[in-house]
Amino acid sequence: MIRRPIPSWLIYVLGVTGVVVVLAIYAGLSIRQTRINPDQNIFPGLQAFGEGLGEITKVRGGESNPKPSWLSVDLQATYWRLFLGLSAGVVLSVIVGISMGSYTFVEALLNPIITFFAKIPPTAMLAVYMVVFGIHLKMYVAMIAFGVFFTMAQSIYQAVKKDVASDHIDKAYTLGASEFEVIVEVIWKQVLPRVLENLRLQIGPAMVFLIAAEWSFAGEGMGYTIKQQSKLQNMHVVYIYLAVLGFSGLFFDWLLVQTRRRLCPWFGE
Amino acid sequence: MNDQIADGELAVEVKGLSHWFGDQRVLNDVNLKITAGQIVALVGPSGCGKSTLLKAILGTHPPREGQVIVGGKVIDVPSRNVGIVYQHYSLFDFLTAQSNVAFGLKLDSTSWPFRTFALPKWLQLRKQHLIQSQDYLKRVGLEGSAKKYPTELSGGMRQRVAIAQSMILKPKLLLLDEPFGALDEATRESLQMMLLGFYQENLLAKSEGRTPEYTILIVTHELNEAIYVANRVIGLSRFHDQAERGAMLVYDRPCPVFRPNDPQDREKLVAQRDELRKAVFDPAYVKHYGKYVSFWGEVAAQEAAVAGIR
Repeated sequence: MIRRPIPSWLIYVLGVTGVVVVLAIYAGLSIRQTRINPDQNIFPGLQAFGEGLGEITKVRGGESNPKPSWLSVDLQATYWRLFLGLSAGVVLSVIVGISMGSYTFVEALLNPIITFFAKIPPTAMLAVYMVVFGIHLKMYVAMIAFGVFFTMAQSIYQAVKKDVASDHIDKAYTLGASEFEVIVEVIWKQVLPRVLENLRLQIGPAMVFLIAAEWSFAGEGMGYTIKQQSKLQNMHVVYIYLAVLGFSGLFFDWLLVQTRRRLCPWFGE
Repeated sequence: MNDQIADGELAVEVKGLSHWFGDQRVLNDVNLKITAGQIVALVGPSGCGKSTLLKAILGTHPPREGQVIVGGKVIDVPSRNVGIVYQHYSLFDFLTAQSNVAFGLKLDSTSWPFRTFALPKWLQLRKQHLIQSQDYLKRVGLEGSAKKYPTELSGGMRQRVAIAQSMILKPKLLLLDEPFGALDEATRESLQMMLLGFYQENLLAKSEGRTPEYTILIVTHELNEAIYVANRVIGLSRFHDQAERGAMLVYDRPCPVFRPNDPQDREKLVAQRDELRKAVFDPAYVKHYGKYVSFWGEVAAQEAAVAGIR
């Protein structure tokens, strides 16, 4: 039956089963491929992964001049770009989304523009960002920021319209709130869980834009290394990088869920 | 009428209020005075302009003509002088019951820069606000639910919190917009008792020379409820001799005062309900709009009678 609840132990068992099945399929493919070609690197085995992990975490340079490992450099580059881009995008979209939902004048002015730009895939705008900002940090930040901004501003604008009833606003005024306080104390607090939910949803697309841009233009970063290593068919390195991306995505997701639970306990699950 | 509150400080005055939307005239020359401590019920047929009148008094939709004066000030925007409780509670989801009640104290007595840049002082003040709000929760019988969020409360509990939230600021007038419409019978009854209790507190305050704390205008569809909880009923209707100019106050009379848990005098209720139904809700009964507007006349007659006895 649709949505029939199942016991919690079964939820865990099914979750673990899914992971085990994927690993088993991979192991099967790896064994089969190795039988055909013992030097294959399409589905590397455990030993190859060990070597790959050693390679990407190895400190480079001599003892006198040690340099960070590939993974460390790439993680730092990629997530710094992601952090700056998302921060700029979220701040901008919160300001614009709340303003559009609160003031009819701003809504009338910005709604057509935002709806138009939200329809253009951010990766298609890559050329524009490259020409305007060059191929340095600014370009990645601008691409992520604008990539998430239009969609997120629309979502926040809708959340203000739907989640904040006029009665709540009038009520706040009758309790002595100023216009600024209505925005900060009522509207912002009411839409905060929606902002956090949107941020969760936007991390995936932001990573897509970033990896694509790094693939094309970067000299370091996850996207750059994945491109270089896949050219060399070093799949034992590529898969580890993909796993790192997956796990870090899960971590950020978990972090945002915890933040939402802490800041908005009233919102429920 | 011995226990009516008719004299005293004028809480609200509606002067010559008219409103229209395009060609459609909604309200025409509505005049109303409410003194501190009165609990007034407003009734009227659907679409007669009750909400428009309420919004004008609240300040969200100022009238095209006329004025609403509360505490000596003309109302054209919502302010802390007029509180409101809506049918669907309008509590802030992100605040606990206690914080919801304390919200008005926070907004009314402090500013955002104060709360941000004088944090230690604000936190100290906050403690007092929470104590005060707990006291108000106790008054509405919810002291045990202070830490619960609105989603964890029943409809009746939410409405009690909403009433405490509005009352804590001691507004000159509290508007209750069909406050019990979404509640079950038992909860509705207990909240009616609460209103009757407020009126008794008003009488006590008056007898001790204090300004009564609760001045309430309650909009309701239930005629029995209107007569039962209020000490004065007003009726808004367009069924009168100047119908084309919009709805007017066609009924304004005192009604029997009940004490909480007193047995209801059904006869008094029924007689006035029938009169109200005829005067306000009967489209076939065309009369002069002032025929049943006699509250202040009755007050004056009573005062004259009392003076004569002395």
